[in-house]
Amino acid sequence: MKSSLIRPALALALAAGLAGCGGSDKAEFVVKGTISGIVYPGAVLTTNGMDLPIAPPAKAGDPVSFAFPNKLEYGDVYNVVFKAEPDNQFCSTPSQAIPNFNDTAGRLAEINITYACGIDAYQIGGKVSGLTADGLVLANGSTGGTVAVAKPAAGVTTPIDFGFEAFVPYDSSYGVTVLTQPTGQFCTVANGTGIMKAATVSNIAVTCGPVVN
Amino acid sequence: MKSSYLRAGAALACAVALTACGGSDGQLQLGGQFVGVTKTGLVLTNNGGSDKAITPTSTGSGNWAFDNLISTDDRYNVEFKSKPSNVEDCVIENPSGRAGYHVYTVYVTCTLKRHALSGSVSNLKGELQLANGSDNVIVPAGATTFNLATVPEDSPYGVTILRQPANQTCTVSNGTGTVGPNAVTNVAITCTP
Repeated sequence: MKSSLIRPALALALAAGLAGCGGSDKAEFVVKGTISGIVYPGAVLTTNGMDLPIAPPAKAGDPVSFAFPNKLEYGDVYNVVFKAEPDNQFCSTPSQAIPNFNDTAGRLAEINITYACGIDAYQIGGKVSGLTADGLVLANGSTGGTVAVAKPAAGVTTPIDFGFEAFVPYDSSYGVTVLTQPTGQFCTVANGTGIMKAATVSNIAVTCGPVVN
Repeated sequence: MKSSYLRAGAALACAVALTACGGSDGQLQLGGQFVGVTKTGLVLTNNGGSDKAITPTSTGSGNWAFDNLISTDDRYNVEFKSKPSNVEDCVIENPSGRAGYHVYTVYVTCTLKRHALSGSVSNLKGELQLANGSDNVIVPAGATTFNLATVPEDSPYGVTILRQPANQTCTVSNGTGTVGPNAVTNVAITCTP
């Protein structure tokens, strides 16, 4: 009699224990995080078969929080990557942070992925023709840097190429002027100013000739 | 004879000991990072000596360290001996302490003086857009002056016509140069017809 009572009690306890492993109160993890620097629409994050469109923040400059709709179970591997980056932007793990977009649910108490996005930037440059002296320095405003263009080496005919080291972000203005004229010459700039589109600018034309008094 | 050797030996030992006190034969670097240094003139000292002139960079930022090494347990105190002429002011973070290992945490931040960039506009009958590189401003019809954002001292500037007004052509004179110790006010925009 005694043993027959113990046996069902054991079975019940075992069943309860198993339910604890799988049933309704199992550990679930929300795949979530924040993205800073989003300016343009078009971003789509993806992981574990889910796609999540990401809109720019309501207030420019604010970070955007995201959470995927379906939770993951303990031990599920997630790899949250951009199926599409925001238009004219690139996104990556913030500098000086450890990448945390690819991990196993449950290794940490919470999933909190961090991404930072910057604006795509393109080089501006073009050709210099008629340059026969040293000293030419071109500038792109006060913050776009300068580029010194030396006279072409013997046997090299102009036009010669030039390009600014500092790239110009999409939708930013640029304006190239002659900061320093070459010795004994005078140069002018054509196509030197504009608003950056999503492409390298290579049609800035600097034409140099003798100084006209 | 014997005693004179001894004396010379003692003097040598003394000299060696004194050299050790000078601080140039330590093993540890004392330095950090700097920001806003675009011109020579920034000189740092440690405990009043070991002058270190910081070489400016094109971006204004970089790493720095005293040429003289320090030793474990040395107390250090970094101060300004002089500052570049184009700064509003400079500050040092974590200027003093006692060396446990290499010290790379002395941060020097200089704020550059900024000056207005402005000029005159004549005969403008439509809307004009001017740019100084990434900064730009819309100038309304009838305006006789314009203001672009302030620019740091010693940096270049170059004013260009980003967008011409309808049915007019404007040109810029005195549009480019290097910002000196004063505001730039002589940029002149002239529109025709």
